[in-house]
Amino acid sequence: MPFTVDRSSRRTPHRIRRALPALLLATGLVVSATACNNASQGAGAAGTLKIGLLASLSGTYEAVGTELRDGFQLYLNTHGGKLGGHKIELVVADEGNGAPTAVPAATKLIKQDKVHALTGIVGGGSMAAVTPLLTEAKIPFVGSNGRPELKDVSRIWHTSYLSEEPGAAIAQYVRDNVQGSVYAIGPDYQGGWDELKGFTDAFAKVGGKLANPDGKTRFTPFPATTNFTPYFAQIKASGASAVYTFYAGTAAVDFVKQYAQSEIKNLPLYAAGFLTEGGVLNAQGDAARNIYSVLNYSPDLDNAENRSFVAAWKADHDGSPTTYAMASYDAAAVLDKAIGAAGANPTPEKINEAIAGLGQIDSPRGTWQFSKKTHSPVQKWYLRQVRQDGRALSNTVVTDLATVGE
Amino acid sequence: MTIGAASMPGPLDAYLIPALDGVAFGLLLFVAAAGLVFCFGVADILNLAHGTLYAIGAYTAAALTDGGWGGLLLALAVGVAAAAGAGGVLAGMLAPVRRGDHLTQALLTFGVALAGGSLLVSAFGPDSLPVRIPAALDGSVVVAGHRYAAYRLVFIGVAALLAVLLYLVVARTRAGMLVRAAVDDAEMLASLGVNPAWVRVGVLTAAGALAGAAGVLGAPIIGPAPTTAETILLLSLVIVVLGGLGSVGGTLLAALAVGEIQTLGVALAPTAAPFLLFAAMIVVLAVRSRGLFRRWRTA
Amino acid sequence: MRRGLPRPLMRAVAVGAVLAAVAAPWLVDDYTTALLARTLLLGLVGVSVALLTGVAGLPTLGQTAPFAAGAYAGAALSLHTGSVGVVQLAAGAAVGAAFALVTVPLVVYARGVVVLMITLAIGELAVVAANRWRSVTGGTDGLYGMPSAPPVWGLPVLDTERARYLYVLVVVAIVAGVTLAVLRTPAGLLLRASRDDEARMRASGHGVTGYFAVAYLAAGAIAGTAGSLLVTAQQYVSPADFGFEISALLLLGVVIGGTASIGGAIAGTALVVVARDWLSGLLPGHAPLVLGVLFVLTAYLLPRGVAGLLGDGRGLTWLAGRRRSGARPAGERTAVPGADAAGDATESRRVSA
Repeated sequence: MPFTVDRSSRRTPHRIRRALPALLLATGLVVSATACNNASQGAGAAGTLKIGLLASLSGTYEAVGTELRDGFQLYLNTHGGKLGGHKIELVVADEGNGAPTAVPAATKLIKQDKVHALTGIVGGGSMAAVTPLLTEAKIPFVGSNGRPELKDVSRIWHTSYLSEEPGAAIAQYVRDNVQGSVYAIGPDYQGGWDELKGFTDAFAKVGGKLANPDGKTRFTPFPATTNFTPYFAQIKASGASAVYTFYAGTAAVDFVKQYAQSEIKNLPLYAAGFLTEGGVLNAQGDAARNIYSVLNYSPDLDNAENRSFVAAWKADHDGSPTTYAMASYDAAAVLDKAIGAAGANPTPEKINEAIAGLGQIDSPRGTWQFSKKTHSPVQKWYLRQVRQDGRALSNTVVTDLATVGE
Repeated sequence: MTIGAASMPGPLDAYLIPALDGVAFGLLLFVAAAGLVFCFGVADILNLAHGTLYAIGAYTAAALTDGGWGGLLLALAVGVAAAAGAGGVLAGMLAPVRRGDHLTQALLTFGVALAGGSLLVSAFGPDSLPVRIPAALDGSVVVAGHRYAAYRLVFIGVAALLAVLLYLVVARTRAGMLVRAAVDDAEMLASLGVNPAWVRVGVLTAAGALAGAAGVLGAPIIGPAPTTAETILLLSLVIVVLGGLGSVGGTLLAALAVGEIQTLGVALAPTAAPFLLFAAMIVVLAVRSRGLFRRWRTA
Repeated sequence: MRRGLPRPLMRAVAVGAVLAAVAAPWLVDDYTTALLARTLLLGLVGVSVALLTGVAGLPTLGQTAPFAAGAYAGAALSLHTGSVGVVQLAAGAAVGAAFALVTVPLVVYARGVVVLMITLAIGELAVVAANRWRSVTGGTDGLYGMPSAPPVWGLPVLDTERARYLYVLVVVAIVAGVTLAVLRTPAGLLLRASRDDEARMRASGHGVTGYFAVAYLAAGAIAGTAGSLLVTAQQYVSPADFGFEISALLLLGVVIGGTASIGGAIAGTALVVVARDWLSGLLPGHAPLVLGVLFVLTAYLLPRGVAGLLGDGRGLTWLAGRRRSGARPAGERTAVPGADAAGDATESRRVSA
């Protein structure tokens, strides 16, 4: 209960919005101090539901975590603080850098705050570690980013994507547009393995040839690698005609800036969209110009949902929304529809059943639906290129790619 | 471009750029780590907030550089002053801690690093920040048929100059003489009437200035981000261990070795790359286990 | 000369602490219970850190390595055989000790900050290995889905937070108790004497290196045991449980607890871990700031608890009710920088004389 945010109050000026969490925090502290042992099943006021949001608010992934939080909050703000007709009490917890901090935070949300549903989670590792808790508590989870390989997804849903999908969606395009072999390089951790495997498998299937000497993707130590110059020398020596990669966060900034000044700067660079998504694009600056990336979202998509989403986002934030914010906004939309369909007394079990019964979902990315098999979206992917947009650089949609998901 | 045997470079050619880059990387680490070496060697302080001093310089660079020479020089002045000031504050905070009590120093400075890192992120945000270097350096040049970042090439020159200056200061000046004396025998220095408290303030301020300079000039290479402080701290600790204490030459060799391990080593043995640095550290330590921390003669 | 609280009062505090620990899962909610279980088992790793850092005088940042080895061993057993708790504990301890056996030649010949650096490297390499050895460790995402197991044959499975907590409590109490008991025997005296005056011990014909090696193996076994408890308590294992951050928190917790004190190690580690987990729940995003301030305050307010790098592990040893082994004033050995680290106690004595 310490960080309870009730945003039924309408839009407040920016400065006050900044101060609000601190104020709420202070009152939350007092309340939790006096009513600490009063953690009864979370239906305090009639009709109020508790939703837990777990995201990295500190550490390496703080930028992604705050996007997740703000995307969900934006949906609440623009929908009167209600989901499915019920007033929502959003309880936010800090995932930190990974599993060791994510698990205690998730335990708190589930066992102390007794939330009806959980959302968020940046890291795949955190997600995997929280899974046993979800199974035990039998509450639905609508994730908005990290999605590891899971054995049982009966209560687990994701509005993001499977890590293999971006690469699979762009493989045909790269095959058609690159004369020669492609060098595959990525970070050495689960997310990197999956992202690159998605590309290399699909690329091989359509007859593409990797430039890597042994036909295997080059993985760089993560997050330890800050200097990519020696890898660029290898790419040069391999005689590749293009490069496919996936990096995010600080590594994406280092990779792109060094690429632009390296001896392979003229090789076309294709990437999973996270390479140039959000704050990293600002840090990369001109070095990112002309990079091609594949993603399920771009702020310049032309549909009604997206126009209102982008407008509402820009009222509160400096830049454009990212796919992270969009996925979290969609997680709120999924819960909105599901809670509305779950009857007058929406238990976690009923909410989960209702999610399974959702059909097409209108979203800023275009309409999508949950795969019956993987519980992640069947959605269209877009090819984007970093281009000048007014005074800033922006990921501009070039063309539609495949619709991926089963 | 078609791939043909004629256009394939010779076997050693592919390692030229990594080797050159290792020098740039190593010199950056030398400037960054030199302060930590003197903290430990002269003032006997284990300063785990050293990476944060570099981060102060790097964030200053992100805040003040504007793509012109004036911005870069201003960032250098402000960054060096800010980090040196932070070093002085750290010296004041460490004053009550008994000399040689490394674990208490570690506790205190690690706390400062945690809190300082958190404050830097609050002030500058969680993203990696861009650093706008002067346009003349923001490109690439051709070195022996290979393209290489112009800034890094210039950086090699500047950092080499700093290394020479540092050597001259330690070898030829009265301050350097005191430093060498402190490394050899701290108690004798105290008996000569040199106040240990001022040695501590002086060394930590100088260490802060060096780390701040490294942070500003190195920001285009290891830029400001929430992880910067930890990266620099770990690499600096490795260099301290490999280079011995209080010796400019030893530190320079160690820094260049670490730089080459992380560039040339990666190019030569990419699959072993994640193990290389710490494995090298263990091997060196195990071989010289006892002798390592015996004082090397300065410079 | 003993300082601090009189012994009867100490006993009363200790008894009160034990009672509170046993009653805790009935007094607090499931979340806090789960947190306490994790805290206790990290306290056990803290015990192994204190054994090396304080008692043997080998400051370590690498005990996360045998901790990880024990955890993966316990997880593998649990996943593939569904074995009972004691078998997992035995496996964890054996693998932790085996890991220590492999790395012991790297550690026991070094002293002081060199040990700190070697163990730091061992810990980092162990994490790199855990990240990459996917068939055994599950890679960066780790292993999960370990079934709940009974503690011994014939008992019910540990399927509630309360049961898991009590299991962890019992194991931690037994292992810490045994460690404490052994340290009170002549064996413990030999170890502390080796730490305090290596040259004199060698001159008297003692195999100091051998003593340190045994202590290092024991610390490996203790950390390995804690590793298999980790599997039981949180039912997943990932490399993030063993990173540099955890090593640093453990060492600092042990320093807070008095460096050489077994009870202090558990208390200090618990303080740090609770501060981290509890604060991150209370102040999302600001835990590092508060934790940092906590460390700074501790350095100033607990000078007796944080007394010296080597040898001088006398900090809060009275917490464990032991007499101090030597009468040399605190800090004498570390008064001259590097003298203790030179690894040559004869030189150390010459310089400090």
